[in-house]
Amino acid sequence: MLSKSSARMFFLVGTALCAVAFILLTLDTFQQIPGQTNQDELSPAAIRGKHLFDSSNCMGCHTILGEGAYYAPELTRVYDRRGPEFIAAMLRDPAAMYPGRRRMEQYDFTEEQISDLVAFLEWVGKMDLNGFPANPPLAANAGVAAAPDDGRPAIFGQMCTACHAVGGRGGSVGPSLDGVGTRFDAEYLTRWLTDPQSVRPGTAMPDLPLTEAQVSELTAYLVTLHD
Amino acid sequence: MKYESQRIAYWFFATCMLLFGLQLVYGFIMAFAHAGLDGLHDIIPFHTARAVHTNLLVMWNLCGFMGAAYFIVPEESERELYWPKLAVVQLVAFVAVGVTAVIGFHFSWWEGRKFLEIPRPLDYLVVVDVLLFIANIGMTILKGKRITTTASVLFFGLLMAALLYLPGMIPTDNQTQDSYLRWWVVHLWVEGVWELIMGGILAFLLIKLTGIDREIIEKWLYVIVGLTFLSGILGTGHHYYYIGTPSYWLWIGGIFSALEPLAFLGMAMYGITMARKGGRKHANRTALAWTVGCCVMSFVGAGFLGFAHTLPQVNMYTHGTLVTAMHGHMAFWGAYAMLVLAIITYAMPLLTGRKLYDRPGAAFAFWTSNIGMIAMTLAFGIAGVTQVALERRMGMDFLAVQEEVEVHFWGLILAATLFTLGITAFIVNFIQHGLPKGDVEATLGGAAPDESTDTSDDDGAVAAADPVEA
Ligand code: HEC
Ligand code: HEM
Ligand code: HEM
Ligand SMILES: [Fe+2]
Repeated sequence: MLSKSSARMFFLVGTALCAVAFILLTLDTFQQIPGQTNQDELSPAAIRGKHLFDSSNCMGCHTILGEGAYYAPELTRVYDRRGPEFIAAMLRDPAAMYPGRRRMEQYDFTEEQISDLVAFLEWVGKMDLNGFPANPPLAANAGVAAAPDDGRPAIFGQMCTACHAVGGRGGSVGPSLDGVGTRFDAEYLTRWLTDPQSVRPGTAMPDLPLTEAQVSELTAYLVTLHD
Repeated sequence: MKYESQRIAYWFFATCMLLFGLQLVYGFIMAFAHAGLDGLHDIIPFHTARAVHTNLLVMWNLCGFMGAAYFIVPEESERELYWPKLAVVQLVAFVAVGVTAVIGFHFSWWEGRKFLEIPRPLDYLVVVDVLLFIANIGMTILKGKRITTTASVLFFGLLMAALLYLPGMIPTDNQTQDSYLRWWVVHLWVEGVWELIMGGILAFLLIKLTGIDREIIEKWLYVIVGLTFLSGILGTGHHYYYIGTPSYWLWIGGIFSALEPLAFLGMAMYGITMARKGGRKHANRTALAWTVGCCVMSFVGAGFLGFAHTLPQVNMYTHGTLVTAMHGHMAFWGAYAMLVLAIITYAMPLLTGRKLYDRPGAAFAFWTSNIGMIAMTLAFGIAGVTQVALERRMGMDFLAVQEEVEVHFWGLILAATLFTLGITAFIVNFIQHGLPKGDVEATLGGAAPDESTDTSDDDGAVAAADPVEA
């Protein structure tokens, strides 16, 4: 039968061995983190962005690297998913991109702070995370992720699919854009994208921060979408 | 109760009740926001509510541990606290720091690192305060008549908890390093040194409540805390799968964290076996219910539900979803909340000289809060599994999925209401005990129990012979 002193030995030796192994692994991990996270690309702007991210407690609603709160979208790959314009628009006016939805904090960031945060999110988005976040394995009717080569401009994936779906993939805030080219012509769509309120006052469609070139690029794509 | 200075524990426990009640209010604010009612957004936005909810939880748990230590250590060491007045100072300082932090969160004064939101200047105060506490307990043990295993394990756990707070304060610019060190606090606390505190308090309660020989209980205590560290230290790796750290953590973390439930299984078997074998029927059955309940529910919440998402293949999809919130609630409840409620239930009759554990409210509190928490876990679990299936497996948009799971947050609110009823009953029972009063002798009801052996208990025997029911 186990005696108390051998139980104590089990505790002390086991703990000591594991603690030593853990410390050695930690030292090795700290050697490898700079490579795996591209620390050489961590610009002063991104560093300021990281500290701003902390002092604004973005983690109190969002997850980043899968850590944080479960109230708002995961931000690790948001730079790829939405792009810099979208993120900047969110940070200037959180209701801009998702009017009437679950609310984000209204921060009063300066433009410089916004670009710092964007730089931080861009840097985080490039880390090697051992495959996280995984591509959704059951996403059968692939749209945004798997078949982006239906001629859609990059800005479409960033700005529009947050609310609208095409071919069953994308957001559900606005109506699906399938067949939008049948319903509207290029002139109407240009006005709609430039100033939605003048076309249909009171619409939930935000006034997107788009350049003229982007608007014509988007219009050219939208008119190709037929039922 | 044998020593005058044990009474200070009462004030720690009273603080626990206050902070716990407040924690629940902020839980409701978040649950309503998830369900679509964020009317308080402009006053208490979600990230404020969250910081308050989780920090109050950690604060009242720590406060409970400190109260427990002030109650247990004099009894184990057979002497008064070394510096009784320091304990008062230390409580007041702790509360002052806590209140400042919570108020600060409402004015965006925080660090924004999950669970470690307390701003840096207050971190230093917390460390100083906890070191004062450690010194007080340490001196009491050193100068005591005897040094028991129970007291040493408890002390070692508290000391390590204080020291492990420090790595979380190392400044860094790299998000991955930041996260790596954050887990030294969060994981090595709840799946490491807090389990020593838990083991120590449970051992004390089981010795008192079951009358089983100290040698046997303490031997198994070593086995359990041995298993804890054997699995839990390298098990930290289950947080290092996907944060930008080397891929060897996938298998190291996977294997060792998969063994972590063994420590909790050990705890559950230990509690149940000792309670059944125990020769003595201690009058305070409610305290025994909380003690054994803690052993069982910690296995369910930490062991079973922790295991459910700890393998890297599973965690790839559940990482950072409501599945984690499901596990977090049941694990904290089973292991640490119930532990503190157990020692409070045991200590209150001794501190105040009133035996209210047979009141219907006491049993109601136990059952209602536990059933409520099980239902809350189910609500979080269903929402979490749905989120994983729709968002992580099928690629649906985050917000669209959140709208799908809104209904489960109404379920959560119902369950949380039941839970809160139970906790309210507990707090009412606590208040009914009144303030600590009378001298030590009077608390013992004039009886002079044999103090030479551990199996002699202060109130169990007395209560059996002398039914002073209110
Ligand atoms: C009070 C909670 C809250 C806080 C705090 C918060 N957010 Fe958000 N955020 C949201 C919600 C909710 C959304 C989802 C869109 C919506 O409904 O507005 C969102 C969306 C976003 C998006 C777009 C994500 C996407 O996939 O479309 C970005 C980028 C973002 N937030 C960045 C930040 C940053 C950076 C901070 C910190 C400076 C921050 N958020 C703080 C709640 C919050
Ligand atoms: C009235 C009862 C309660 C309600 C309604 C409630 C609700 C919530 C909600 C909505 C969250 C946030 C999840 C998110 O980030 O989106 C949360 C977080 C948390 N709560 Fe509660 N809660 C309650 C009681 C408790 C209790 C009693 C405990 C501990 C014993 C607890 C421990 C936690 C923890 C640890 C977290 C963080 C979880 C994580 O990040 O994974 N809560 N709670
Ligand atoms: C009493 C003990 C425990 C408590 C109080 C607890 C609590 C928590 C909390 C609050 C979190 C969220 C932390 C954060 O994101 O900052 C968490 C995460 C986690 N826990 Fe536990 N836990 C316990 C034991 C365990 C055990 C024994 C296991 C494994 C067998 C486990 C597995 C996990 C995993 C894998 C995560 C990460 C989830 C994710 O990737 O999002 N836990 N735990
Ligand atoms: Fe962990």
